[in-house]
Amino acid sequence: MNFEYISIFLRSCSFGKFTCSKRLSALIISCIVSGEKTEVAFLQGIFEKIKGGLRAGQAQREESIKVKFEQFKKVLSSNQAALEIIADMGEKLSGDYIFDRRYIEESYEKLSEAVLKSVNALNALCDNKYKDLYGVYDRVTRHLVEILKQREDRNGPPVILLKAVTRAHNAVVGGKAKHLARIIRDLALPVPDGFVITTRAYHDVIAYSGLAPSIDRLEGLIASPVVDHEEIENLRRDVQGRIGKLEPPPRLLDAIAEALDLMDLGSMDRPYMAVRSSAQEEDMDFSFAGQFDTVLNVRARPLDIFLAYRKVMASLFGKHVIEYRRTIFEGEGQMSIAALCQLMVDARSSGVLFTIDPLDSHSEDMVIVGNWGQGEAVVDGKMPTDTFRVSRKNGLKIASREINRKKEALYLSLAGGLEKREVPEEMQKQPCLTDEEVLKLAEMGLRLENYFKRPQDVEWVVDQRDDLLILQSRELLVKEQDHIERELLDLEDKYEVISSGVGLTAQQGIGCGPVKIARTIKDLDNIPEGAVLVSPRDMSNFVQVMKKVSAIVTEVGTPVSHMATICRELGVPCLVNVSGILSKVHDGMEITVDAEDQKIYKGKVRELLIYRNSRSMNVFESRDFRLLRRLLDAVAPLNLVDPLIEEFRMENCETYHDILRFIHEKAVQELIEIGKDEKRLLKGNITKRLELPIPAGILCVDLGGGISSDAPDDHCELKHITSIPFRALLKGMTAPGIWHTTVMDVSFKDMVSSMLNAPTDALDGQYSGHNIAIITREYVNLSLRFGYHFNIVDAYCSDFPRDNHIYFRFLGGATDLTKRSRRARLIAEILKAYDLNVKTKGDVVTARMGNMQRKDMEYILEILGKLIGFTRQLDVHMESDVQVQRYLEAFLRGEYDVALH
Amino acid sequence: MTETQARPIRLIIIDDEPIVGRRLKQVFGKMGFDVEIFTNSLAAVQFMEKNPFDIVVTDFKMEELDGMEVLREARRINPSARVIIITGYAKPETAKEAFKNGVFDFMVKPFRLEELKEAVLRAAKAET
Repeated sequence: MNFEYISIFLRSCSFGKFTCSKRLSALIISCIVSGEKTEVAFLQGIFEKIKGGLRAGQAQREESIKVKFEQFKKVLSSNQAALEIIADMGEKLSGDYIFDRRYIEESYEKLSEAVLKSVNALNALCDNKYKDLYGVYDRVTRHLVEILKQREDRNGPPVILLKAVTRAHNAVVGGKAKHLARIIRDLALPVPDGFVITTRAYHDVIAYSGLAPSIDRLEGLIASPVVDHEEIENLRRDVQGRIGKLEPPPRLLDAIAEALDLMDLGSMDRPYMAVRSSAQEEDMDFSFAGQFDTVLNVRARPLDIFLAYRKVMASLFGKHVIEYRRTIFEGEGQMSIAALCQLMVDARSSGVLFTIDPLDSHSEDMVIVGNWGQGEAVVDGKMPTDTFRVSRKNGLKIASREINRKKEALYLSLAGGLEKREVPEEMQKQPCLTDEEVLKLAEMGLRLENYFKRPQDVEWVVDQRDDLLILQSRELLVKEQDHIERELLDLEDKYEVISSGVGLTAQQGIGCGPVKIARTIKDLDNIPEGAVLVSPRDMSNFVQVMKKVSAIVTEVGTPVSHMATICRELGVPCLVNVSGILSKVHDGMEITVDAEDQKIYKGKVRELLIYRNSRSMNVFESRDFRLLRRLLDAVAPLNLVDPLIEEFRMENCETYHDILRFIHEKAVQELIEIGKDEKRLLKGNITKRLELPIPAGILCVDLGGGISSDAPDDHCELKHITSIPFRALLKGMTAPGIWHTTVMDVSFKDMVSSMLNAPTDALDGQYSGHNIAIITREYVNLSLRFGYHFNIVDAYCSDFPRDNHIYFRFLGGATDLTKRSRRARLIAEILKAYDLNVKTKGDVVTARMGNMQRKDMEYILEILGKLIGFTRQLDVHMESDVQVQRYLEAFLRGEYDVALH
Repeated sequence: MTETQARPIRLIIIDDEPIVGRRLKQVFGKMGFDVEIFTNSLAAVQFMEKNPFDIVVTDFKMEELDGMEVLREARRINPSARVIIITGYAKPETAKEAFKNGVFDFMVKPFRLEELKEAVLRAAKAET
């Protein structure tokens, strides 16, 4: 009896897309199992109703296909609108705009509304299948609100290892740690090991201590226009005093202990640490530098470190800091402080390196100053030091050494702190660095300068094992020269101008160096340090050389491309869309790029470099810039790149961009789902068979403007296609020689292999229907299946470069894995040759490209069309690796019929 | 261009965000202008009373005097002064009133630096 009902239940539940809520299913099952007749009869009634309802729904849905397409169009347009807002926000960070907080808030509001619209549109299209996306949207939006309220310094781990710090931790680790983490992460330079006690820990400690009400009151007083000096002073002193006596929260001690365990303390039997402030604003030039406490030589034990940290925390409430915040730093809101805890290096020698001579702007030397022992002796300037000058002209060479008698130096004291000791007699007149060390240090300095795009002031140390380490690197500002601006006025008379007023600023700044032209990705392999990269167009692959080039110039491109975004992240001066530049420069030619005024000069324009070196780039650290940058960090990165991989899941959406990508993919899938039912499609009256001279069997779903109105009712031809990207693709697919109809000999082994190894999503029926092209005037999503090959092209192509994108995917193949992998490699190589951003996983190839002019987009789409035809049956030819190269070259030469020979 | 001028053109920039002012000082200094920056509009007007100036670029929403008041004061002190107001809070009636009061240009944020440069260059060339 029960089985009967269970089977009714199962049939009902598997009918269409209806799904019971978990609770309802549980109830139904419990009734069935208990076998109570009345309930069973009642349930039977419900099932009948459900079934009836579903049938009615099915009929309705068939009629409402047109509605579906309308909903799909809504998804496309709301997605597009949201992406445009993101691009617009990114462009504002180039330094070429004046904007304010209001712009940021408005953009956020418009954007969150647009993304919500997309979520709504997807759910309308898919019968609320993606309701959980609202939860994801809420999560991301909450994070953005935290950022806007400038409260994101409360989110993150309380303690984190320095080497584990990523961009995601920017808001909680403070300026100093953020800076050092970049040196470790991007340059792999040796830096003393350590960890950060984050601003999250700061807020935890304040909450634990019960100090929050006092601090809130103090913050209120600081922000108030009416000043009560006495009350502020009393409150400040009270808070500071109480922080100085704080009990350690046990959980923080545990977190510190854990970090210490994870650090490489090597053979040190009594490791010591330095605990320094790392305030969010520390690196700004109107900074609080010197106003926060640093505690040196702290035993590497949790309690000792906490006690030092307490001092750093308390210094946030120092008299000068509060006064400074009230007067000069007003309106910045509540401050918090992180602490950078690093192993103290038992120094053999230490000192500073200036990558240019701060006293002589015309010199081309680096200057290194050092002494034996700890660096504080050098920084104070109270003890004699050695000075080394390293010439930068034509490679690094030691230009001079000035070795002084160094009688005293500072050393680590066993009691903690530092102590002055006499230097052993035989060492007093010895240089504190060997020539080899001087050059090694200079080379590190050059890398730091090229990475940060400005001259650097570097603190260094050599430990007892003679290893060189970097303690700190900051922007070196040479003294401002009043007359320098006057000298800038007649530059055009003094230097040959290569280009003026042409191009768009993707990132402001001034850079100078020898030209290196990169036409393909391969050209990036041997770019020299400090070169100016010049290229036909922007490529996101440039990221691999951005840390060493001094500027980037491209012939085409937009300030909103992915590359431009990375340039802004890394501060690379960058001009795009400088037409004709490639014909005016050649490899090795020295040029100076002024991305502030869109000018490029021949040679080294010393005046501009002096101008640059005397001016801080702090505009990029202003309140509004920082806020917009943080907001964009939580909005723009795309983590859900490839729908084919496991990670492409709703819950893995971290940014709005991820959500938009997810929505796009699911919406397209929904349409393809409908496309499987040809009858339903054709009823919709939007669908036509495409008749081509090649047997491609494509069904076109035109959502607007994709097919001309003079096409017959039931089919269309190439001449009727008005969709810009689709027409370009078809042009490639139908190009002469591309589509050979000769049947390739497939060996028995290959056939068996293909049956056993066909990729799972090839067999799940998703693409087993027609080849479908969903098109509008500017859009195409083409799913093509030939035998066991699958191609997907998703492209948007309009007159606005920043809206344009191409996504291409290839998978499957009727042959063994080795041959399939070879073919995947061939496809990847071809795509790379056309500068697409390519990823290969097994025999799946995905490629992306975007932000291009319409004509370039059409060109690439045509190439993709050719590639689809070219590789259709190639895998059976992939007998050896040599073939890959052969076919690659043939394709690039335009000999598409090579496979027949 | 400004190179042809006998003396540098004197530009006053008022914005309560210090970095905006310093940034504009860099931009216009590089172009050869003589630039004074203020974060306090009252202090800027006091400076105008005592020192010659040609062009004023001022933010609109500020404590003390707002952009409209700065415009009136600047034109009172020096009727030939060209005043450019930049604002993130544009209302048509504000713009109308500004033009009635003789504003040279009224620019709505966000805008490209290039647009401000052009406006200031136009102001520099304008007949007074």
